[in-house]
Amino acid sequence: MVFIFGVNFPESQLVSRSLQSFYGIGPSVCTKLMARFHIHQTAKIGALGDRQINDMAAELSTMTLENDLRRQLVENIKRLRDMGTYRGRRHAMSLPVRGQNTRSQVMTARKLNRVDRRG
Amino acid sequence: MSSSICLRCLKRSLVPIEASLPPTAAQRAAFSTSPSLSANPPKKKGAVGKPVVRAGKTLKLAKNKRASTVRPPAPGERKALRKRVVLSNTNALEVPGLQDLTTDNVDGGAVKGMRGTVVGLGNDTVDALRALEAFKPTQGWSLFRRPASLVRRETAELAELLQAVKESDGQGQQQVERRVVFGEKLSGKSVLLLQGMAMAYLQGWLVVHYPDAKDITIAHTSYRPVQTADGDTIYIQPHYTAQLLGNIAKANHGLLSGMRLGKQHQLPVPVQANISLARFAELGANDAELAWPVWQALWSELTAPSQPETEGLQRPPIFVGLDGVDYIMRDSAYLDGEARPVHAHDLALIRDFTNFLSGKTELPNGGMVLAATSASNRPSAPTLEHCLSRGHAEPQLPSLLAARDRLREQCTTAQSTADLDLSDIDQLLITLPTPLADQLRVFRRKLLASQGRGIFSSETIQQVCDAFQPELPRWDPYLAIDQRVADVMGRVTARKVQGLSKEEARGVMEYYARSGMLRGAVTEGLVGEKWTLAGEGIIGELEKGAVRARF
Repeated sequence: MVFIFGVNFPESQLVSRSLQSFYGIGPSVCTKLMARFHIHQTAKIGALGDRQINDMAAELSTMTLENDLRRQLVENIKRLRDMGTYRGRRHAMSLPVRGQNTRSQVMTARKLNRVDRRG
Repeated sequence: MSSSICLRCLKRSLVPIEASLPPTAAQRAAFSTSPSLSANPPKKKGAVGKPVVRAGKTLKLAKNKRASTVRPPAPGERKALRKRVVLSNTNALEVPGLQDLTTDNVDGGAVKGMRGTVVGLGNDTVDALRALEAFKPTQGWSLFRRPASLVRRETAELAELLQAVKESDGQGQQQVERRVVFGEKLSGKSVLLLQGMAMAYLQGWLVVHYPDAKDITIAHTSYRPVQTADGDTIYIQPHYTAQLLGNIAKANHGLLSGMRLGKQHQLPVPVQANISLARFAELGANDAELAWPVWQALWSELTAPSQPETEGLQRPPIFVGLDGVDYIMRDSAYLDGEARPVHAHDLALIRDFTNFLSGKTELPNGGMVLAATSASNRPSAPTLEHCLSRGHAEPQLPSLLAARDRLREQCTTAQSTADLDLSDIDQLLITLPTPLADQLRVFRRKLLASQGRGIFSSETIQQVCDAFQPELPRWDPYLAIDQRVADVMGRVTARKVQGLSKEEARGVMEYYARSGMLRGAVTEGLVGEKWTLAGEGIIGELEKGAVRARF
């Protein structure tokens, strides 16, 4: 098991998969991160050197990830609402924000658009 | 004294029992004509707790169920099975009188004499080639009793080249042959490379082989940047380097154990000063962290001028092979620190090879650098393709010009276009590569059309001849050329592997028949049929059609 950014990963897991398990790291950020530390595509967690792991952990700690990122997202929506913008109001009403029609399908907006959005 | 029965109970006991009890179903049945069960059906037992999961409408049969009792394959097991090379088929017949390629018959003349026959490979050659990963699982080795290959025109040519390098020994500058073989899918490029390695091995050369360039460039193995002495950043691949070192040490064990270190090298670990090169290479093979310094030191030892009079410092000629050259003539899948693709020539292992191929790194003891393209699942490498087609067309240009000049001479004596001898042009149309053949076809049409208006004039023919200036393929100026690839390919000979001739096809089909893998007599008709169906003698297709196909 290798401990990266507060999570234990099994050694047989791919580095890319492990990184992408964090909220805020998708394929693109993951590719850039791995390129930065010269980790090849199919590298497993167990094959990383100590230095690579430490560097990566240091880099991850400077990034806005997980709860910080979620909080940031919620704050952004809150800010819109507090200013009384249209987007803020639409979020508060759980309605589409970007001009979509609301006649029939607004299921996704009902689910996602809210002030205390989960992420 | 208290009574043993309470008053309330006593009172109840006085009421008739039948009146106090609620009427039961059986009692009511006496007053109804409907059966008691229908009037008062028992409650169905509903699902308690969770609702029943909706059963789909799919048909479930026992035979469609997957057996999950089987042990899942261990890590690497499936890959090992995929990469497994089988070199023998016990069901195939032993071919009587199958000649082996040995140290005695490996010289240019003898190989040329064996053209059109199939020759076997000796046990130690097979071991060496196996260690070099020269046999591929997709090739048809598993169809025959033991590994053997056809000596074809290209093989004989390769043998002569090896001979020429050998004979240049002791005449000042050693000759080094650099070439890339290309050709259609299944035309036998990789097997030609294998034959080259086998011949070089038997002649006592050191053989190095990059088994598949794809594995080096698709970013499936670890990498790390290092700075070179001249300030460039190159990327080393520790694990792959270790694997290659292991292959080299295993395949050339006899040669390398007779040689020792002759220079001082800066290595991360202390190494015995006169360690044998075999043990030195194994040192690098066993530790990926050591692999790169060992690789560098090993090459500086092997490319040092030979000192035959000093024990252990004699250095043989070197054969360097690489399969799948398309993969190294483009960007690799590796990314640099800024997530931009790394050019394959910036990978250290590839850089070493391209330096040999372009002649930037000398081989003072002579040798051969041979690369083969791969035609199945080929990545696009436009610059390489252009260089190959140009390199293939260039040597044919003089014959085309000579044919034109002969025509011009003829037209002074000819009376009509019917008198012109176009036979050599027709012959060239068949043999020339496409870009030149197309131009020649236009020229021929113009020549015949020049008499279209009635009167034959030798001046018109001469004008047509003068206007015909065949051109080599030119790079499309609207596309960006890969200058690094163009520079490497500049001095490399390109050789196309063509289909077999009918005689060679007959030779190999007779071998199939004698192995018991092809039923029936090998007749002229059968050979012609299979040769034609195999796209004019593409050997892989011939094998598919004659041995693998079952009707």
